[in-house]
Amino acid sequence: MRIKSPKDFWAGLMFIGFGAFAMAWAYANYQMGTAVRMGPAYFPILLGGLLALLGALVFIGSFAVEGPPLPHMNMRPLVLISVACVVYGYVMKPLGLVIATACLVYISAFGGHEFKWKEVTILYVILIIFSVLVFVKGLTLPFPLWPAFLGY
Amino acid sequence: MGDIFSNLMLGFSVAVTPIHLLYALIGVMLGTLIGVLPGIGPVATIAMLLPITFNLSPVAALIMLAGIYYGAQYGGSTSAILVNLPGESASVVTCLDGYQMARQGRAGPALAICAIGSFFAGCVATLIIATAAPPLAEVALKFGPAEYFSLMVLGLVAATVLAHGSLIKAIAMVLLGLLLGLIGTDVNSGVLRFTFGIPELSDGIGFVVVAMGMFGTAEIITNLELKDKREIFTAKVTHLFPTKDDFKRAWAPVLRGTALGSFLGILPGGGALLSSFGAYTLEKKISRHPEKFGKGAIEGVAAPEAANNAGAQTSFIPMLTLGIPGNAVMALMIGALMIQGIAPGPQVMNEKPQLFWGLIASMWVGNFMLVVLNLPLIGMWIKLLTVPYRYLYPSILVFMAIGVFSLSNNPWDVLVMAVFGIFGYICVKLECEPAPLILGFILGPLMEENLRRAMLLSRGDPMTFLTKPISAGFIVASLILLVIVALPALRKKREEVFVEEPK
Amino acid sequence: MRFVVLGALWAIVQLAHAQAWPARPVHLVVPYAPGGPVDVSARLLAPKLQQGLGQPVVVENRAGAGGNIGAEFVAKSAPDGHTLVMGAIATHAINPALYPNFPYDPVRDFRHVALIVQVPNVLVVNNDLPVKSVQDLVALAKASPGKLDFASGSTGSTGHLAGELFKQLTGTYMVHIPYKGSAPATADLFAGRVHLMFDNLASALPNIRAGKVRALAVTTAKRSSFVPELATLDETGLKGFDMTTWWGVMAPAKTPQPVVERLAAEVANAIASADVAERLRAMGSEAPSVRTPGDFTAFVERERKVYGELVRRSGAKAD
Repeated sequence: MRIKSPKDFWAGLMFIGFGAFAMAWAYANYQMGTAVRMGPAYFPILLGGLLALLGALVFIGSFAVEGPPLPHMNMRPLVLISVACVVYGYVMKPLGLVIATACLVYISAFGGHEFKWKEVTILYVILIIFSVLVFVKGLTLPFPLWPAFLGY
Repeated sequence: MGDIFSNLMLGFSVAVTPIHLLYALIGVMLGTLIGVLPGIGPVATIAMLLPITFNLSPVAALIMLAGIYYGAQYGGSTSAILVNLPGESASVVTCLDGYQMARQGRAGPALAICAIGSFFAGCVATLIIATAAPPLAEVALKFGPAEYFSLMVLGLVAATVLAHGSLIKAIAMVLLGLLLGLIGTDVNSGVLRFTFGIPELSDGIGFVVVAMGMFGTAEIITNLELKDKREIFTAKVTHLFPTKDDFKRAWAPVLRGTALGSFLGILPGGGALLSSFGAYTLEKKISRHPEKFGKGAIEGVAAPEAANNAGAQTSFIPMLTLGIPGNAVMALMIGALMIQGIAPGPQVMNEKPQLFWGLIASMWVGNFMLVVLNLPLIGMWIKLLTVPYRYLYPSILVFMAIGVFSLSNNPWDVLVMAVFGIFGYICVKLECEPAPLILGFILGPLMEENLRRAMLLSRGDPMTFLTKPISAGFIVASLILLVIVALPALRKKREEVFVEEPK
Repeated sequence: MRFVVLGALWAIVQLAHAQAWPARPVHLVVPYAPGGPVDVSARLLAPKLQQGLGQPVVVENRAGAGGNIGAEFVAKSAPDGHTLVMGAIATHAINPALYPNFPYDPVRDFRHVALIVQVPNVLVVNNDLPVKSVQDLVALAKASPGKLDFASGSTGSTGHLAGELFKQLTGTYMVHIPYKGSAPATADLFAGRVHLMFDNLASALPNIRAGKVRALAVTTAKRSSFVPELATLDETGLKGFDMTTWWGVMAPAKTPQPVVERLAAEVANAIASADVAERLRAMGSEAPSVRTPGDFTAFVERERKVYGELVRRSGAKAD
């Protein structure tokens, strides 16, 4: 049996996975209740079941109906952009806005195609000035600007 | 009739004083700015500005805060069209066709129709508030949990219409969104669901985080994959202004969107969102070229925008007439009023007519200011799009990250945004559309909450959904819509199978 | 040797910091989303505190888990007086019993600086309900057990627990209908879909005055000066009924005593100032019943016991 539509193949699997997980977890951990007095597990199991069912339909359909091939997944932008965001979040408290923004800008710029240090630095300077003026001074958002051990 | 006229005169005399004009201007400008900036929304902004309002008169305070609120609607559509980032939940629908129009170089007409359509809708909705606020509030009260549930079922069926690809996958995405929305504390039992011991999940995943991730981050990652992508945006920028054809196609959707939005906005809790994508669904279903939707149909921008601006205005009704806030922003305004010593409630209309009518008149003024502000800005936004993408996307990321982080000053939110970015990217690759998921995400918990509450109140009698007339009406409408939606899909599948067979 | 010198220097710096409190901006953490009453009162307080302390006072929202996330954050913060929290009845009396694996001890992990707001709840009923007094309600509830619905803003809220206590003391059975916030609950109360509610005074007052609902009693032990004509539940026969929604400024446990005392004095000044006092009154709050940090701690301990018991008996659990 040939997989005619790889997209649907994986999509179907994804849906089955989420649906089955929801059902299993809900069933194991929460009360079902009855149809007239639904417990917290009722909806998740119902929805999970429907989702898994539809997932199965999509999955089976991937063997029957022709579909386009899987597009190429480019790891570099995916990883770098995600890492840039996560680093920003976790660096903010210990190291402050200035450094966190730098991390975000430089790491995400790396995820692109042309990386020129001078350009990115100019962009960073503009962005950090704008951020501080508008968000910290203007909207009084309580972001620490500098690393914690230097005081605020 | 004469009564209303004299009230409006009173209102305008209040609204058009220099100081109130100034505050209206500040409000709408600020609102537009935060609407455009992804991540920061009117709720956070109004909360931060509350202390400033302590020193203002109640009328001035309310005018400014209201300006921020509906100004944010205008701004939210700008970022939805330009960078596929929905500022408010109601702007999600605008992303669908608006962003596609921008990719085709038609950002100018899209933005212009948004501004003009929103202005029209705002005016009409304000007129409705002026003439019919109390009776409409009474109608809103007729909506109990059973009615809300049935309305949301209708909404969910309509959500599947949003998809322009596989129907089954769209329904699956809706279901997945519903499930994701269930994460957190179950209202009816107080139990924590799917939180895996993580305290940050006990209130669920925030809409902003999911939207920023699935629409924003995922889009950026996808764009970065294409080599010479940004040329697409800049090369084809044609006119800044909509063509005659655009206007011809847009005026009826604007009317319909206004009507739908004005009505649904009255309903506390979920009204405004339903109105924008209800409008989209309606347009797609009655259009002669439904396949154009999702690829840059101007009707798909005009109708939802009109609907969500009308909804934003009419959502003031429950607050002003009953003292019941329809959403978080209204709750804030009630807070602002209470601090001023005014108890918003059924008496405000009679006891403080300057406040009530002044605010209404100021809404017109505000809408007018917004359209005057936004139309010329379109040129500026277009210029912004010509900035090379390698400068644009880190900037977008910075604003998104600040906005998301500022929600709870917790890195967790940014992490979740990144995770949804990855997930959104995968969905794009697998041709699973994010919009139905987002709608399921928002509607899911509301649906379940209302379903169980309706059952609690009826002591377990499921017929309650059919014995209540309004609720029954929505259920019947859902069934009809379901049939209408499923029929062409069935027909198509049969054709497809027919074609495949000879292999 | 180097380390000894460095260590000594560091100790001196810390000492200097303590002497010169506050040495940098003070963060007042609000464990709820912006716009709610706790947040608004914090934003009222901050500018006044800023004047008194000479350093910026910044309100920082850290919502989540019914307030536990923000409270835990401050409990585990450096006790140098620069990180404070608006601890509330939810975070310090109710949630410890409601949530599993509670991450902090509401009494021992905090210094309780100053109580700021105390708001009573009021028992309101739908206008069409044929009861004019608490006694009528009890009679009706006894005659038709399980027929009456009472609404609340959420499971484990003071509105919910007030209802549970009411049921216990009167021996009646009413069905609890939880909502997400008191606004949708109020809407259903107006429409008669639910019969009664223990709403907080600030939200309920305009509805009472407008005649949209009928008020029967207040939940505090003393009558409220905003509605002096309303009896207390204690007076109508539910002995010992005394519930308020409250919140106040708290600091991590090891915060030095002089810092706590100075802070308490500044907060007292702030809420006594004319405009702040007026605005707090507009929220339905009367002067707080405890004035010193020591009394506040004792207050929190009492509340924690009372609500722990109530939650346990009502069977409410966030798990």
